[in-house]
Amino acid sequence: MELKINGEIRNVDVEDNMPLLWVLRDELNMTGTKYGCGVSACGACTVQIDGVATRTCTLPASAAVGKEIKTIEGVAEAGQLSAIQKAWIEHQVPQCGYCQSGMIMAAEALLDSNPNPTDEDIDKSMTNICRCGTYQRIRSAIHTAAKWRAEETTLQG
Amino acid sequence: MGKWTRRAFIAGGGLAGVGLIVGIGGNMYVNNAIKKYSGKGMGDGASINAWVRIAPDNTITMAVPRSEMGQGVYTSLPMLLAEELEVDMNQIKIMHPQPESPYANTLFLDPNPRRAYASYSVMEKVASFLPVVGTGGSTSVKDLYDHLREMGATARAALIAAAAEKWDVPAADCYAESAHVINKKTKEKLSYGSLAEAASKVELDFDPPLKAQKDFKLLGKRIQRLDIPEKVTGTAEFGIDARPKGMLVAAIRHASYVGGTVNGVDNEEEVMQMKGVKKVVLLENGLGAAVVADNTWRAKNAAMALDFDETANTLENISSTDISKMLNDIVGDDTKMIGKPEMHGDANTVLNDDAKAVEASYEVPYLAHCTMEPLNCTMVINEDKAEVWVGHQGGSSVRDAVNAVTGIAKENIHVNILYLGGGFGRRIEVDFIKKAAMVAKQMPGVPIQLTFSREEDMKNGMYRPAVASKFRGSVGGDGMIDAWENKIALQSVSNSFMKRLMPAMVEPPEKDPQTAEGAVELPYGRNNVSVQFGQLDLPAIQVGNWRSVGASQNGFFSESFMDEMAHAAGQDPYEFRKKHIQKSDLPDAPRYLAVLNKVADMASWATPLPEGKYRGIAILKSFGSIVGQVAEITKTADKQISIDKVYCVIDCGRIVNPDTIEAQMQSGIIYGLTAALYGEITLDNGQVVQQNFPQYEMVRMNTAPTVAVHIMEVDEYPGGVGEPGTPPAAPALTNAIFAATGERVRSLPLNKLGYTFV
Repeated sequence: MELKINGEIRNVDVEDNMPLLWVLRDELNMTGTKYGCGVSACGACTVQIDGVATRTCTLPASAAVGKEIKTIEGVAEAGQLSAIQKAWIEHQVPQCGYCQSGMIMAAEALLDSNPNPTDEDIDKSMTNICRCGTYQRIRSAIHTAAKWRAEETTLQG
Repeated sequence: MGKWTRRAFIAGGGLAGVGLIVGIGGNMYVNNAIKKYSGKGMGDGASINAWVRIAPDNTITMAVPRSEMGQGVYTSLPMLLAEELEVDMNQIKIMHPQPESPYANTLFLDPNPRRAYASYSVMEKVASFLPVVGTGGSTSVKDLYDHLREMGATARAALIAAAAEKWDVPAADCYAESAHVINKKTKEKLSYGSLAEAASKVELDFDPPLKAQKDFKLLGKRIQRLDIPEKVTGTAEFGIDARPKGMLVAAIRHASYVGGTVNGVDNEEEVMQMKGVKKVVLLENGLGAAVVADNTWRAKNAAMALDFDETANTLENISSTDISKMLNDIVGDDTKMIGKPEMHGDANTVLNDDAKAVEASYEVPYLAHCTMEPLNCTMVINEDKAEVWVGHQGGSSVRDAVNAVTGIAKENIHVNILYLGGGFGRRIEVDFIKKAAMVAKQMPGVPIQLTFSREEDMKNGMYRPAVASKFRGSVGGDGMIDAWENKIALQSVSNSFMKRLMPAMVEPPEKDPQTAEGAVELPYGRNNVSVQFGQLDLPAIQVGNWRSVGASQNGFFSESFMDEMAHAAGQDPYEFRKKHIQKSDLPDAPRYLAVLNKVADMASWATPLPEGKYRGIAILKSFGSIVGQVAEITKTADKQISIDKVYCVIDCGRIVNPDTIEAQMQSGIIYGLTAALYGEITLDNGQVVQQNFPQYEMVRMNTAPTVAVHIMEVDEYPGGVGEPGTPPAAPALTNAIFAATGERVRSLPLNKLGYTFV
């Protein structure tokens, strides 16, 4: 099947029902997206599909055909970190770091749809598990990134 | 004997393209052990071990032999070296060396940290000789705080001596800064790279002094972590991301029963027909079976399709309710008390004579570690060689485990320690290493990545034991605790763990020092104290080190019962603790008092909270650090709680990276709260009930409190920070719940008692 990942067309020969996660990790060796639970409960495997944060450990790869798949590897553009990635560094968010690809993909989708989220908005859309408990710093980093993105927009406008 | 030679070594020959290697010679005894391992320490064929490698282009590479599992050692340990070596953090590259003698964690065998330029104790020599190279027990900074600074100072002194000789000036006329030696008078500069070779020939005839705290440029400052940039781009390589050329993957399935055995697979031919499947491997000793395939999902599906011939063995009819009864039988029977870690005065008589004595029985369940990255190990085995890629807390244990399964000589086992997607004590175990070796040796020459599915990970835990604790307490006429009795029952973690990892050094359960952590040496100056424990013998259920180990449950028990005593005395829980600490003659009592007062001050304890809000307090020392916490909650409905804020104060002695300490407090608290709210592994007729996160819920963004951290500035030798944040979290919360509801929480998790969280 043909998948469009981070703007590139990739052809893979897999069963229709193979979860997208395992196409990414084991067929394409794109290991930034993580396996955590296999039942869409933890969010470590989150990518964006047509801009929507989506858990891929239960999503059949065939369901992503014809759509824009964006993974953590596609977030930095031309080596330039996104505002969210920079904010993650600014707030020193990651500890073990294993959940952070999924967290960042969820946060990117949140800010794309809601440029200035409240704490309640963050509670509602950031539902992934971080076993190291970095939630507080993730919240702060999202607010910082929202501010930076607004400033960028103002400058460009 | 055992005097440091203080000689900086260099190995230049035969290292084309590598540059120069500056290492530091150690104790002669250790040097002899090093030779045994052909000096693979920093790799690249160096003929000696080293902590520091300086290339001609001034690239400085440091060996960091502790595992990065989120606690920040890939930054805090380089800070220690860089401070004395006088290099900037961005000038340091780090590499994880092979588990060789110079990198032994001596605190694993000798609890007293080795101070700068001191000789090795006997147990430290044993640790180096074996060697025991591992990360755990919040020891990394404690173990290496003096040692790494000593290494940096010695290397710096040698580099300065080399420059002084070159310029023909006294060494006192030179100083080091940003990886250069500078001539004070002429302002000339020489890079470390250009001096490394000459420095290697310098013999120092003095112990280079360590810097005074006031001169620190890095230690005590908020330094950005070196591992974070690659953790925001998805490029950080965790064990599960290893992709050696030609790798196949494997999925494992264990027996349905804890401690059960898999005797055979009835449908191997059928499973071999499934897409992508390469091999079915029945593991040794009935441990289960694995399916090797070309994709992890295909391997997992095939493993699930295996038809097992299995035996339940000892636990077939045992459920958690039975285990609970066994534990409570032990705490109710004085003859079962095998350990008496704290006994003074005559608690029994005082308690028997007090008609108003307070009695309380506490209990907590088994807990799983649930690292975010499921257990996995990648390995290739050739006839007489093995290479391993794994996120693991103990490189030497990995090597020992591969040796045990394959018989391959330890020096031919190369261990690549990658990032750990969480450790928490689970990744110091070697069950998953041994199982990977059992599979890999069936397919020589093919790298195999064995991954546990979340379900296999959760039901094959090395759980925090289920524990019962039964108290009696008596308040005297002066409003102070007169007698305190605590009887504990559990499976010994040390005993279970050492049987798996170092069978030659197993101690009987009564000598397990971890059992009483958090139950003894409380800073409360009580007249009559009796703390005893008994052992539940249930070897089929393996118990392990779960972040903060004994203190994880004893902190909850002790600090809850302390609250009960305050209530019985009709006193405020903070004031009651304060009065008792003031009476304590523990050497640390003033430090406890400072922490307690500070956290009460942060939480504005003296100021009443608005209606509907409540608070609880707890304080505990573990792993060398004292942590006090106040949890502030809102009762949003009947049995519905919002944990709004946790105030946290830590005294961990000298501060290395305050940002990391703050992060570890936040992390430890969330970890402790997850256990308090939801954590429970239960057995139902020998089978683990919880399989995945839907049955083992976690604190998430919407339920996580804000944590405010204050770090005391105390000029004492450092304590640990990875674990001490966890133990006070549960009792601070449940003491707040008592304030809110009048219900004394004596068992966890809270959701089982009907509480919900928003």
